[in-house]
Amino acid sequence: MEIFQHILNALQFGSFYALIALGYTLVYGVLRLINFAHGDIFMVGAYIAYFVAVTLLGIGGLHLGMDMHPALALAITVPATMILTALVGVALERTMYRPLRRKGANRLYVVITALMAGLMLENGNLALLGASRKRFPDLLEKVVWDLGGGVSVTNLKVIVIVAAIAVFLLLQFIVTRTKIGMAMRGISYDKFAIPLMGIPLDTIIVFTFILGSSMAGLAGILFAMSYPILEPYMGALIGWKAFIAAVVGGIGDIRGAIVGGFLLGFIEIGVVAVFPSTLRDLFAFSVLLIILWLRPTGIFGVAQTTKI
Amino acid sequence: MKTLLEVKNLKVRYGNIEALHGISFDVKEGEIVTLIGANGAGKSTTLLSICRLPPPEAPRVVEGDILFNGQSLLNVPPHKIVSDLDMALVPEGRRIFGNLTVEENLKLATYARKDGHEAAVRDYERVYALFPRLAERRKQRSESLSGGEQQMLALGRAIMSKCSFLMLDEPSMGLAPLLMYDMFRTLKELNREGLTILLIEQNANLALRFAHRGYVLDTGEIVAHGTSEQLLADPEVKKAYLGG
Ligand SMILES: Nc1ncnc2c1ncn2[C@@H]1O[C@H](COP(=O)(O)OP(=O)(O)OP(=O)(O)O)[C@@H](O)[C@H]1O
Ligand SMILES: [Mg+2]
Repeated sequence: MEIFQHILNALQFGSFYALIALGYTLVYGVLRLINFAHGDIFMVGAYIAYFVAVTLLGIGGLHLGMDMHPALALAITVPATMILTALVGVALERTMYRPLRRKGANRLYVVITALMAGLMLENGNLALLGASRKRFPDLLEKVVWDLGGGVSVTNLKVIVIVAAIAVFLLLQFIVTRTKIGMAMRGISYDKFAIPLMGIPLDTIIVFTFILGSSMAGLAGILFAMSYPILEPYMGALIGWKAFIAAVVGGIGDIRGAIVGGFLLGFIEIGVVAVFPSTLRDLFAFSVLLIILWLRPTGIFGVAQTTKI
Repeated sequence: MKTLLEVKNLKVRYGNIEALHGISFDVKEGEIVTLIGANGAGKSTTLLSICRLPPPEAPRVVEGDILFNGQSLLNVPPHKIVSDLDMALVPEGRRIFGNLTVEENLKLATYARKDGHEAAVRDYERVYALFPRLAERRKQRSESLSGGEQQMLALGRAIMSKCSFLMLDEPSMGLAPLLMYDMFRTLKELNREGLTILLIEQNANLALRFAHRGYVLDTGEIVAHGTSEQLLADPEVKKAYLGG
Protein backbone atom coordinates (compact mmCIF):
# COMPACT_ATOMS: atom_id res chain seq x y z
CA MET A 1 0.00 0.00 0.00
CA GLU A 2 2.97 2.22 0.59
CA ILE A 3 3.46 2.24 -3.13
CA PHE A 4 0.26 4.21 -3.68
CA GLN A 5 1.46 6.86 -1.29
CA HIS A 6 4.66 7.08 -3.28
CA ILE A 7 2.75 7.34 -6.53
CA LEU A 8 0.70 10.23 -5.20
CA ASN A 9 3.81 12.04 -4.06
CA ALA A 10 5.47 11.41 -7.40
CA LEU A 11 2.44 12.82 -9.19
CA GLN A 12 2.52 15.94 -7.05
CA PHE A 13 6.21 16.59 -7.63
CA GLY A 14 5.86 15.68 -11.25
CA SER A 15 3.09 18.27 -11.53
CA PHE A 16 5.39 21.06 -10.39
CA TYR A 17 8.10 19.97 -12.80
CA ALA A 18 5.56 19.64 -15.58
CA LEU A 19 4.01 23.06 -15.02
CA ILE A 20 7.43 24.70 -15.15
CA ALA A 21 8.69 22.50 -17.97
CA LEU A 22 5.73 23.65 -20.08
CA GLY A 23 7.08 27.20 -19.97
CA TYR A 24 10.52 26.12 -21.14
CA THR A 25 9.07 24.03 -23.89
CA LEU A 26 6.62 26.66 -25.16
CA VAL A 27 9.27 29.33 -25.50
CA TYR A 28 11.74 26.91 -26.98
CA GLY A 29 9.14 25.54 -29.35
CA VAL A 30 8.45 28.99 -30.71
CA LEU A 31 11.75 30.83 -30.50
CA ARG A 32 14.33 28.03 -30.26
CA LEU A 33 15.42 29.89 -27.16
CA ILE A 34 16.06 28.25 -23.81
CA ASN A 35 14.69 30.79 -21.39
CA PHE A 36 17.03 30.06 -18.51
CA ALA A 37 15.33 32.75 -16.45
CA HIS A 38 12.17 30.66 -16.35
CA GLY A 39 12.95 28.93 -13.03
CA ASP A 40 13.32 32.36 -11.49
CA ILE A 41 10.07 33.50 -13.00
CA PHE A 42 8.56 30.64 -11.05
CA MET A 43 10.24 32.02 -7.91
CA VAL A 44 8.92 35.50 -8.68
CA GLY A 45 5.48 33.94 -9.12
CA ALA A 46 5.66 32.46 -5.63
CA TYR A 47 6.65 35.84 -4.18
CA ILE A 48 3.93 37.64 -6.08
CA ALA A 49 1.45 35.13 -4.69
CA TYR A 50 2.83 35.80 -1.23
CA PHE A 51 2.43 39.56 -1.50
CA VAL A 52 -1.02 39.37 -3.02
CA ALA A 53 -2.14 36.89 -0.38
CA VAL A 54 -0.81 38.74 2.68
CA THR A 55 -2.19 42.01 1.34
CA LEU A 56 -5.63 40.52 0.88
CA LEU A 57 -5.52 38.84 4.27
CA GLY A 58 -4.37 42.09 5.85
CA ILE A 59 -1.28 40.55 7.46
CA GLY A 60 1.44 42.30 5.48
CA GLY A 61 2.26 43.41 1.98
CA LEU A 62 0.62 46.70 1.10
CA HIS A 63 -1.24 47.12 4.39
CA LEU A 64 -4.47 48.18 2.77
CA GLY A 65 -6.36 47.20 5.87
CA MET A 66 -8.13 44.37 4.13
CA ASP A 67 -9.30 41.39 6.06
CA MET A 68 -10.44 38.88 3.52
CA HIS A 69 -11.59 35.35 4.11
CA PRO A 70 -8.74 32.96 3.11
CA ALA A 71 -10.90 31.15 0.56
CA LEU A 72 -11.81 34.40 -1.17
CA ALA A 73 -8.20 35.54 -0.95
CA LEU A 74 -7.17 32.31 -2.68
CA ALA A 75 -9.73 32.82 -5.42
CA ILE A 76 -8.25 36.24 -6.14
CA THR A 77 -4.61 35.34 -5.56
CA VAL A 78 -4.54 32.63 -8.23
CA PRO A 79 -5.59 34.75 -11.23
CA ALA A 80 -3.78 37.84 -9.91
CA THR A 81 -0.55 35.88 -9.56
CA MET A 82 -0.86 34.39 -13.01
CA ILE A 83 -1.48 37.79 -14.58
CA LEU A 84 1.32 39.56 -12.71
CA THR A 85 3.80 36.76 -13.37
CA ALA A 86 2.85 36.85 -17.04
CA LEU A 87 3.70 40.56 -17.01
CA VAL A 88 7.13 39.75 -15.63
CA GLY A 89 7.69 37.26 -18.44
CA VAL A 90 6.51 39.77 -21.03
CA ALA A 91 8.74 42.47 -19.54
CA LEU A 92 11.68 40.12 -19.87
CA GLU A 93 10.88 39.47 -23.51
CA ARG A 94 10.36 43.15 -24.27
CA THR A 95 13.46 44.48 -22.57
CA MET A 96 15.95 41.68 -23.20
CA TYR A 97 15.03 39.15 -25.84
CA ARG A 98 13.27 41.36 -28.36
CA PRO A 99 16.11 43.86 -28.81
CA LEU A 100 18.50 40.96 -29.38
CA ARG A 101 16.12 39.42 -31.88
CA ARG A 102 15.85 42.73 -33.72
CA LYS A 103 19.61 42.78 -34.08
CA GLY A 104 19.66 39.18 -35.26
CA ALA A 105 22.01 38.35 -32.37
CA ASN A 106 23.69 34.99 -32.14
CA ARG A 107 21.93 32.44 -29.94
CA LEU A 108 24.83 32.32 -27.54
CA TYR A 109 24.21 35.94 -26.55
CA VAL A 110 20.55 35.26 -26.02
CA VAL A 111 21.28 32.31 -23.75
CA ILE A 112 23.76 34.34 -21.72
CA THR A 113 21.18 37.12 -21.45
CA ALA A 114 18.64 34.61 -20.18
CA LEU A 115 21.04 33.30 -17.54
CA MET A 116 21.82 36.85 -16.47
CA ALA A 117 18.16 37.78 -16.31
CA GLY A 118 17.63 34.85 -13.96
CA LEU A 119 20.48 35.95 -11.71
CA MET A 120 19.10 39.48 -11.72
CA LEU A 121 15.70 38.25 -10.59
CA GLU A 122 17.27 36.20 -7.79
CA ASN A 123 19.62 38.90 -6.59
CA GLY A 124 17.13 41.68 -7.15
CA ASN A 125 14.80 39.84 -4.86
CA LEU A 126 17.59 39.40 -2.32
CA ALA A 127 18.46 43.09 -2.43
CA LEU A 128 14.86 44.18 -2.23
CA LEU A 129 13.53 41.84 0.41
CA GLY A 130 16.63 40.69 2.25
CA ALA A 131 17.74 37.18 2.99
CA SER A 132 15.01 36.37 5.48
CA ARG A 133 12.59 33.75 4.32
CA LYS A 134 8.93 34.44 3.91
CA ARG A 135 6.26 32.22 5.31
CA PHE A 136 3.38 31.75 2.93
CA PRO A 137 0.02 32.14 4.71
CA ASP A 138 -2.52 29.32 4.85
CA LEU A 139 -5.16 29.97 2.22
CA LEU A 140 -6.67 26.54 1.99
CA GLU A 141 -8.16 24.64 4.84
CA LYS A 142 -6.37 21.35 4.79
CA VAL A 143 -8.54 18.31 4.19
CA VAL A 144 -7.07 14.84 4.36
CA TRP A 145 -8.86 12.03 2.60
CA ASP A 146 -8.11 8.58 3.87
CA LEU A 147 -8.06 6.20 0.94
CA GLY A 148 -7.71 3.15 3.15
CA GLY A 149 -4.72 0.91 3.72
CA GLY A 150 -2.71 3.74 5.25
CA VAL A 151 -2.88 5.81 2.07
CA SER A 152 -4.07 9.36 2.37
CA VAL A 153 -4.21 12.38 0.13
CA THR A 154 -4.69 16.05 0.89
CA ASN A 155 -7.01 18.28 -1.06
CA LEU A 156 -4.01 20.42 -2.02
CA LYS A 157 -2.22 17.47 -3.57
CA VAL A 158 -5.26 16.68 -5.66
CA ILE A 159 -5.54 20.31 -6.73
CA VAL A 160 -1.89 20.37 -7.82
CA ILE A 161 -2.21 17.24 -9.91
CA VAL A 162 -5.51 18.27 -11.46
CA ALA A 163 -4.11 21.72 -12.24
CA ALA A 164 -1.11 20.27 -14.07
CA ILE A 165 -3.29 17.99 -16.16
CA ALA A 166 -5.83 20.71 -16.90
CA VAL A 167 -3.10 23.12 -17.96
CA PHE A 168 -1.61 20.47 -20.21
CA LEU A 169 -4.95 19.81 -21.89
CA LEU A 170 -5.61 23.52 -22.33
CA LEU A 171 -2.20 24.16 -23.88
CA GLN A 172 -2.46 21.12 -26.07
CA PHE A 173 -5.78 22.44 -27.33
CA ILE A 174 -4.41 25.92 -27.97
CA VAL A 175 -1.35 24.69 -29.80
CA THR A 176 -3.01 22.08 -31.97
CA ARG A 177 -6.45 23.55 -32.63
CA THR A 178 -6.33 27.32 -32.67
CA LYS A 179 -4.88 29.67 -35.26
CA ILE A 180 -2.66 31.34 -32.71
CA GLY A 181 -1.34 27.90 -31.77
CA MET A 182 -0.68 27.13 -35.43
CA ALA A 183 1.18 30.40 -35.68
CA MET A 184 3.28 29.38 -32.67
CA ARG A 185 4.20 26.15 -34.39
CA GLY A 186 4.74 27.93 -37.68
CA ILE A 187 7.23 30.35 -36.14
CA SER A 188 9.43 27.51 -34.98
CA TYR A 189 9.62 26.27 -38.55
CA ASP A 190 10.02 29.54 -40.40
CA LYS A 191 9.57 32.76 -38.52
CA PHE A 192 10.12 34.91 -41.59
CA ALA A 193 7.09 33.53 -43.32
CA ILE A 194 4.82 34.45 -40.40
CA PRO A 195 4.35 38.14 -41.34
CA LEU A 196 3.61 37.00 -44.88
CA MET A 197 0.45 35.44 -43.47
CA GLY A 198 -0.53 38.82 -42.03
CA ILE A 199 0.44 37.68 -38.56
CA PRO A 200 2.31 40.05 -36.23
CA LEU A 201 5.32 38.06 -35.11
CA ASP A 202 5.81 39.93 -31.85
CA THR A 203 2.21 39.38 -30.79
CA ILE A 204 2.60 35.63 -31.08
CA ILE A 205 5.87 35.72 -29.18
CA VAL A 206 4.36 37.83 -26.41
CA PHE A 207 1.41 35.43 -26.24
CA THR A 208 3.85 32.55 -25.82
CA PHE A 209 5.58 34.30 -22.94
CA ILE A 210 2.20 35.05 -21.37
CA LEU A 211 1.25 31.38 -21.50
CA GLY A 212 4.57 30.11 -20.17
CA SER A 213 4.96 32.69 -17.42
CA SER A 214 1.40 32.47 -16.17
CA MET A 215 1.86 28.71 -15.83
CA ALA A 216 5.05 29.36 -13.87
CA GLY A 217 3.03 31.74 -11.69
CA LEU A 218 0.44 29.04 -11.12
CA ALA A 219 3.21 26.59 -10.22
CA GLY A 220 4.63 29.25 -7.90
CA ILE A 221 1.44 29.68 -5.91
CA LEU A 222 0.74 25.95 -5.72
CA PHE A 223 4.30 25.29 -4.63
CA ALA A 224 4.14 28.02 -1.99
CA MET A 225 0.93 26.51 -0.66
CA SER A 226 2.53 23.07 -0.53
CA TYR A 227 5.91 24.13 0.86
CA PRO A 228 5.20 27.47 2.48
CA ILE A 229 8.77 28.73 2.98
CA LEU A 230 9.92 31.13 0.25
CA GLU A 231 13.50 32.14 -0.46
CA PRO A 232 15.07 33.87 -3.46
CA TYR A 233 16.91 30.80 -4.75
CA MET A 234 13.93 28.47 -4.60
CA GLY A 235 13.54 28.62 -8.39
CA ALA A 236 17.09 27.69 -9.31
CA LEU A 237 17.20 23.96 -8.66
CA ILE A 238 13.57 23.23 -9.48
CA GLY A 239 13.99 25.31 -12.65
CA TRP A 240 16.97 23.28 -13.78
CA LYS A 241 15.16 20.06 -13.02
CA ALA A 242 12.10 21.18 -14.95
CA PHE A 243 14.32 22.21 -17.85
CA ILE A 244 15.93 18.79 -17.88
CA ALA A 245 12.49 17.20 -17.68
CA ALA A 246 11.48 19.21 -20.74
CA VAL A 247 14.59 18.10 -22.61
CA VAL A 248 14.05 14.46 -21.70
CA GLY A 249 10.44 14.67 -22.82
CA GLY A 250 11.54 16.30 -26.06
CA ILE A 251 11.83 20.06 -25.71
CA GLY A 252 9.41 21.98 -27.87
CA ASP A 253 6.71 19.35 -27.44
CA ILE A 254 4.00 19.94 -24.88
CA ARG A 255 3.39 16.25 -24.32
CA GLY A 256 7.11 15.92 -23.70
CA ALA A 257 7.02 18.50 -20.92
CA ILE A 258 4.22 16.74 -19.09
CA VAL A 259 5.69 13.26 -19.56
CA GLY A 260 9.20 14.45 -18.69
CA GLY A 261 7.91 16.24 -15.61
CA PHE A 262 6.02 13.25 -14.28
CA LEU A 263 8.85 10.92 -15.20
CA LEU A 264 11.27 12.98 -13.14
CA GLY A 265 8.79 13.00 -10.26
CA PHE A 266 8.50 9.23 -10.37
CA ILE A 267 12.23 8.63 -10.65
CA GLU A 268 12.96 10.90 -7.71
CA ILE A 269 10.34 9.38 -5.46
CA GLY A 270 11.35 5.93 -6.63
CA VAL A 271 14.98 6.54 -5.74
CA VAL A 272 14.12 7.92 -2.33
CA ALA A 273 11.88 4.95 -1.61
CA VAL A 274 14.81 2.57 -2.03
CA PHE A 275 18.00 4.53 -1.36
CA PRO A 276 19.04 7.25 1.07
CA SER A 277 17.56 10.56 -0.02
CA THR A 278 21.00 12.13 -0.50
CA LEU A 279 21.34 9.96 -3.58
CA ARG A 280 18.12 11.30 -5.10
CA ASP A 281 19.48 13.86 -7.54
CA LEU A 282 22.47 11.76 -8.54
CA PHE A 283 20.29 8.78 -9.41
CA ALA A 284 17.53 10.80 -10.98
CA PHE A 285 19.86 12.65 -13.30
CA SER A 286 21.73 9.48 -14.17
CA VAL A 287 18.52 7.87 -15.32
CA LEU A 288 17.62 10.95 -17.36
CA LEU A 289 21.08 10.98 -18.91
CA ILE A 290 20.65 7.37 -19.94
CA ILE A 291 17.33 8.21 -21.56
CA LEU A 292 18.93 11.07 -23.46
CA TRP A 293 21.81 8.84 -24.43
CA LEU A 294 19.36 6.34 -25.91
CA ARG A 295 17.16 9.04 -27.43
CA PRO A 296 19.05 12.30 -27.86
CA THR A 297 15.98 14.18 -29.05
CA GLY A 298 13.96 13.21 -25.98
CA ILE A 299 10.91 11.04 -25.78
CA PHE A 300 8.64 13.03 -28.09
CA GLY A 301 11.29 15.01 -29.89
CA VAL A 302 12.01 14.65 -33.56
CA ALA A 303 15.37 15.51 -35.00
CA GLN A 304 15.38 19.08 -36.21
CA THR A 305 14.91 19.06 -39.94
CA THR A 306 17.57 21.06 -41.63
CA LYS A 307 16.26 23.71 -43.91
CA ILE A 308 17.92 25.08 -46.98
CA MET B 1 -6.01 52.52 -65.16
CA LYS B 2 -5.10 53.25 -61.57
CA THR B 3 -1.49 52.77 -60.49
CA LEU B 4 -1.43 50.28 -57.64
CA LEU B 5 2.25 49.87 -56.90
CA GLU B 6 4.81 52.52 -57.60
CA VAL B 7 8.48 52.02 -56.86
CA LYS B 8 10.44 55.24 -57.10
CA ASN B 9 14.21 55.45 -57.36
CA LEU B 10 14.66 52.62 -54.90
CA LYS B 11 18.14 52.11 -53.46
CA VAL B 12 18.59 49.12 -51.23
CA ARG B 13 21.50 47.77 -49.24
CA TYR B 14 22.55 44.59 -47.52
CA GLY B 15 24.97 45.89 -44.92
CA ASN B 16 27.23 48.17 -46.93
CA ILE B 17 26.64 46.49 -50.25
CA GLU B 18 24.16 48.20 -52.48
CA ALA B 19 21.97 45.64 -54.25
CA LEU B 20 19.53 47.99 -56.00
CA HIS B 21 20.88 51.23 -57.43
CA GLY B 22 17.75 53.31 -57.74
CA ILE B 23 15.14 51.38 -59.67
CA SER B 24 11.72 52.67 -60.65
CA PHE B 25 8.73 50.75 -61.93
CA ASP B 26 5.00 50.58 -61.50
CA VAL B 27 2.15 48.13 -61.63
CA LYS B 28 -1.35 49.21 -62.56
CA GLU B 29 -4.56 47.69 -61.31
CA GLY B 30 -5.47 44.50 -63.13
CA GLU B 31 -2.09 44.12 -64.80
CA ILE B 32 0.39 41.31 -64.88
CA VAL B 33 3.85 42.82 -64.75
CA THR B 34 7.03 40.79 -64.78
CA LEU B 35 10.48 41.57 -63.55
CA ILE B 36 13.06 39.45 -65.34
CA GLY B 37 16.81 39.19 -64.94
CA ALA B 38 19.72 36.83 -64.38
CA ASN B 39 20.83 35.32 -61.08
CA GLY B 40 21.79 37.97 -58.57
CA ALA B 41 20.19 40.80 -60.54
CA GLY B 42 18.22 41.89 -57.50
CA LYS B 43 14.78 40.48 -58.29
CA SER B 44 14.14 38.86 -54.93
CA THR B 45 15.65 41.85 -53.21
CA THR B 46 13.02 44.03 -54.87
CA LEU B 47 10.18 41.94 -53.49
CA LEU B 48 11.76 41.64 -50.06
CA SER B 49 12.11 45.42 -49.98
CA ILE B 50 8.41 45.79 -50.67
CA CYS B 51 7.43 43.32 -47.96
CA ARG B 52 10.25 44.07 -45.55
CA LEU B 53 10.47 40.79 -43.74
CA PRO B 54 12.04 40.94 -40.30
CA PRO B 55 15.83 41.04 -40.00
CA PRO B 56 18.27 39.57 -40.73
CA GLU B 57 16.76 38.81 -44.14
CA ALA B 58 15.41 42.26 -44.74
CA PRO B 59 17.36 44.41 -47.12
CA ARG B 60 17.53 48.04 -46.02
CA VAL B 61 15.92 50.75 -48.13
CA VAL B 62 18.29 53.72 -48.10
CA GLU B 63 16.69 55.94 -50.69
CA GLY B 64 13.55 56.23 -52.74
CA ASP B 65 10.03 55.18 -51.92
CA ILE B 66 7.52 52.40 -52.42
CA LEU B 67 3.93 53.53 -52.82
CA PHE B 68 0.88 51.33 -52.76
CA ASN B 69 -2.36 53.09 -53.64
CA GLY B 70 -0.43 56.30 -53.11
CA GLN B 71 0.57 55.36 -49.56
CA SER B 72 4.22 54.82 -48.66
CA LEU B 73 4.96 51.30 -47.46
CA LEU B 74 8.24 52.19 -45.82
CA ASN B 75 6.72 52.60 -42.38
CA VAL B 76 4.05 49.94 -42.60
CA PRO B 77 4.86 46.86 -40.48
CA PRO B 78 5.30 43.75 -42.65
CA HIS B 79 2.25 41.91 -41.37
CA LYS B 80 0.01 44.91 -42.08
CA ILE B 81 1.06 44.90 -45.70
CA VAL B 82 -0.71 41.56 -45.88
CA SER B 83 -3.53 42.07 -43.39
CA ASP B 84 -4.52 45.66 -44.15
CA LEU B 85 -3.42 46.27 -47.73
CA ASP B 86 -4.34 42.84 -49.13
CA MET B 87 -0.98 42.24 -50.70
CA ALA B 88 0.54 38.76 -50.76
CA LEU B 89 3.96 37.35 -51.48
CA VAL B 90 4.75 33.85 -52.62
CA PRO B 91 8.41 33.99 -51.69
CA GLU B 92 11.45 32.39 -53.21
CA GLY B 93 11.70 28.83 -51.95
CA ARG B 94 7.95 28.81 -51.12
CA ARG B 95 8.52 28.87 -47.37
CA ILE B 96 5.52 26.83 -46.43
CA PHE B 97 5.28 25.67 -42.83
CA GLY B 98 6.54 22.13 -43.27
CA ASN B 99 5.63 21.09 -39.74
CA LEU B 100 1.96 21.94 -40.31
CA THR B 101 -0.50 20.01 -42.40
CA VAL B 102 -1.73 21.31 -45.74
CA GLU B 103 -5.01 22.31 -44.14
CA GLU B 104 -3.28 24.09 -41.25
CA ASN B 105 -1.08 26.04 -43.66
CA LEU B 106 -4.18 27.29 -45.44
CA LYS B 107 -5.99 28.02 -42.20
CA LEU B 108 -3.07 29.96 -40.81
CA ALA B 109 -3.14 32.19 -43.86
CA THR B 110 -6.66 33.31 -42.89
CA TYR B 111 -5.35 34.58 -39.53
CA ALA B 112 -5.78 38.26 -40.31
CA ARG B 113 -8.83 38.11 -42.59
CA LYS B 114 -11.60 40.39 -41.59
CA ASP B 115 -14.24 39.45 -44.13
CA GLY B 116 -15.87 36.68 -42.17
CA HIS B 117 -16.05 32.93 -42.07
CA GLU B 118 -18.12 32.41 -45.20
CA ALA B 119 -15.72 34.23 -47.47
CA ALA B 120 -12.90 32.10 -46.10
CA VAL B 121 -14.87 28.92 -46.68
CA ARG B 122 -15.48 29.97 -50.29
CA ASP B 123 -11.77 30.47 -50.71
CA TYR B 124 -10.95 27.05 -49.23
CA GLU B 125 -13.26 25.52 -51.79
CA ARG B 126 -11.67 27.63 -54.48
CA VAL B 127 -8.16 26.52 -53.56
CA TYR B 128 -9.12 22.87 -53.38
CA ALA B 129 -10.91 23.17 -56.72
CA LEU B 130 -7.89 24.82 -58.34
CA PHE B 131 -5.52 22.28 -56.81
CA PRO B 132 -7.29 18.96 -56.24
CA ARG B 133 -4.01 17.45 -55.12
CA LEU B 134 -4.01 19.69 -52.09
CA ALA B 135 -7.48 18.46 -51.22
CA GLU B 136 -6.28 14.86 -51.38
CA ARG B 137 -3.39 15.66 -49.10
CA ARG B 138 -5.05 18.07 -46.72
CA LYS B 139 -4.19 16.08 -43.58
CA GLN B 140 -0.62 15.46 -44.63
CA ARG B 141 2.38 17.25 -43.15
CA SER B 142 3.26 19.71 -45.85
CA GLU B 143 7.01 19.02 -45.85
CA SER B 144 6.15 15.64 -47.32
CA LEU B 145 4.62 17.29 -50.41
CA SER B 146 6.47 17.30 -53.70
CA GLY B 147 8.03 20.54 -54.88
CA GLY B 148 5.17 21.22 -57.25
CA GLU B 149 2.57 20.55 -54.60
CA GLN B 150 4.41 22.86 -52.23
CA GLN B 151 4.27 25.57 -54.86
CA MET B 152 0.52 25.03 -55.16
CA LEU B 153 0.24 25.28 -51.39
CA ALA B 154 2.22 28.51 -51.37
CA LEU B 155 -0.13 29.98 -53.95
CA GLY B 156 -3.10 28.56 -52.06
CA ARG B 157 -1.94 30.33 -48.93
CA ALA B 158 -1.77 33.61 -50.79
CA ILE B 159 -5.34 33.13 -51.98
CA MET B 160 -6.48 32.27 -48.46
CA SER B 161 -4.95 35.46 -47.13
CA LYS B 162 -7.31 37.33 -49.44
CA CYS B 163 -5.09 39.31 -51.72
CA SER B 164 -5.78 41.76 -54.48
CA PHE B 165 -2.11 42.24 -55.28
CA LEU B 166 0.02 39.12 -55.63
CA MET B 167 3.78 38.98 -55.85
CA LEU B 168 5.43 35.76 -56.97
CA ASP B 169 9.12 34.95 -56.80
CA GLU B 170 9.99 32.37 -59.44
CA PRO B 171 6.93 30.18 -59.12
CA SER B 172 8.12 28.01 -62.00
CA MET B 173 11.23 26.95 -60.10
CA GLY B 174 11.49 23.20 -59.91
CA LEU B 175 8.21 22.54 -61.66
CA ALA B 176 7.83 20.06 -64.48
CA PRO B 177 6.70 21.85 -67.69
CA LEU B 178 3.18 20.51 -67.48
CA LEU B 179 2.70 21.67 -63.93
CA MET B 180 4.29 24.97 -64.78
CA TYR B 181 1.76 25.66 -67.54
CA ASP B 182 -1.01 24.63 -65.19
CA MET B 183 0.22 27.06 -62.60
CA PHE B 184 0.38 29.91 -65.09
CA ARG B 185 -3.08 29.10 -66.42
CA THR B 186 -4.39 29.31 -62.88
CA LEU B 187 -2.67 32.63 -62.36
CA LYS B 188 -4.11 33.96 -65.60
CA GLU B 189 -7.56 32.96 -64.47
CA LEU B 190 -7.08 34.72 -61.13
CA ASN B 191 -5.89 37.78 -63.03
CA ARG B 192 -9.03 37.81 -65.17
CA GLU B 193 -11.02 37.85 -61.96
CA GLY B 194 -9.26 41.04 -60.96
CA LEU B 195 -6.03 39.99 -59.26
CA THR B 196 -3.05 42.22 -60.02
CA ILE B 197 0.19 40.28 -60.35
CA LEU B 198 3.86 41.17 -60.06
CA LEU B 199 5.82 38.18 -61.29
CA ILE B 200 9.51 37.54 -60.95
CA GLU B 201 11.04 35.05 -63.28
CA GLN B 202 14.33 33.82 -64.60
CA ASN B 203 12.50 32.08 -67.36
CA ALA B 204 12.07 35.28 -69.36
CA ASN B 205 10.41 33.63 -72.31
CA LEU B 206 7.66 32.16 -70.24
CA ALA B 207 7.23 35.28 -68.15
CA LEU B 208 6.89 37.62 -71.12
CA ARG B 209 4.36 35.37 -72.81
CA PHE B 210 2.31 35.50 -69.67
CA ALA B 211 2.63 39.14 -68.61
CA HIS B 212 1.27 42.35 -70.10
CA ARG B 213 4.39 44.37 -69.40
CA GLY B 214 7.90 43.70 -68.24
CA TYR B 215 11.03 45.24 -66.78
CA VAL B 216 14.52 43.86 -67.23
CA LEU B 217 16.73 44.04 -64.18
CA ASP B 218 20.50 43.76 -64.49
CA THR B 219 22.79 43.99 -61.44
CA GLY B 220 20.50 46.29 -59.55
CA GLU B 221 19.41 48.49 -62.43
CA ILE B 222 16.50 48.46 -64.81
CA VAL B 223 17.97 48.27 -68.28
CA ALA B 224 14.84 47.85 -70.40
CA HIS B 225 11.09 47.96 -70.08
CA GLY B 226 8.04 47.87 -72.25
CA THR B 227 5.09 45.74 -73.20
CA SER B 228 5.75 42.05 -73.48
CA GLU B 229 5.59 42.24 -77.28
CA GLN B 230 8.16 45.02 -77.34
CA LEU B 231 10.53 43.15 -75.05
CA LEU B 232 10.11 39.87 -76.90
CA ALA B 233 11.04 41.69 -80.09
CA ASP B 234 13.92 43.70 -78.59
CA PRO B 235 17.19 42.39 -80.05
CA GLU B 236 19.20 43.13 -76.89
CA VAL B 237 16.70 41.38 -74.68
CA LYS B 238 16.51 38.52 -77.13
CA LYS B 239 20.25 38.07 -77.08
CA ALA B 240 20.71 38.30 -73.34
CA TYR B 241 17.59 36.67 -71.94
CA LEU B 242 15.74 34.74 -74.57
CA GLY B 243 18.56 32.61 -75.86
CA GLY B 244 19.30 34.46 -79.09
N1 LIG C 1 20.94 38.47 -47.29
C1 LIG C 1 21.84 39.01 -48.15
N2 LIG C 1 22.96 39.57 -47.68
C2 LIG C 1 23.85 40.12 -48.50
N3 LIG C 1 23.71 40.17 -49.83
C3 LIG C 1 22.62 39.62 -50.36
C4 LIG C 1 21.63 39.01 -49.54
N4 LIG C 1 20.66 38.55 -50.35
C5 LIG C 1 21.04 38.87 -51.61
N5 LIG C 1 22.21 39.52 -51.62
C6 LIG C 1 22.90 40.02 -52.80
O1 LIG C 1 22.07 40.93 -53.47
C7 LIG C 1 22.14 40.75 -54.87
C8 LIG C 1 20.75 40.50 -55.44
O2 LIG C 1 20.26 39.27 -54.92
P1 LIG C 1 18.80 38.73 -55.23
O3 LIG C 1 18.58 37.56 -54.33
O4 LIG C 1 17.85 39.84 -55.15
O5 LIG C 1 18.95 38.22 -56.72
P2 LIG C 1 17.86 37.55 -57.68
O6 LIG C 1 17.72 38.42 -58.84
O7 LIG C 1 16.65 37.20 -56.92
O8 LIG C 1 18.64 36.22 -58.09
P3 LIG C 1 18.07 34.72 -58.30
O9 LIG C 1 17.55 34.67 -59.68
O10 LIG C 1 19.31 33.88 -58.15
O11 LIG C 1 17.07 34.46 -57.26
C9 LIG C 1 23.10 39.59 -55.10
O12 LIG C 1 24.35 40.12 -55.47
C10 LIG C 1 23.19 38.91 -53.77
O13 LIG C 1 24.46 38.37 -53.59
MG1 LIG D 1 15.79 35.50 -56.33
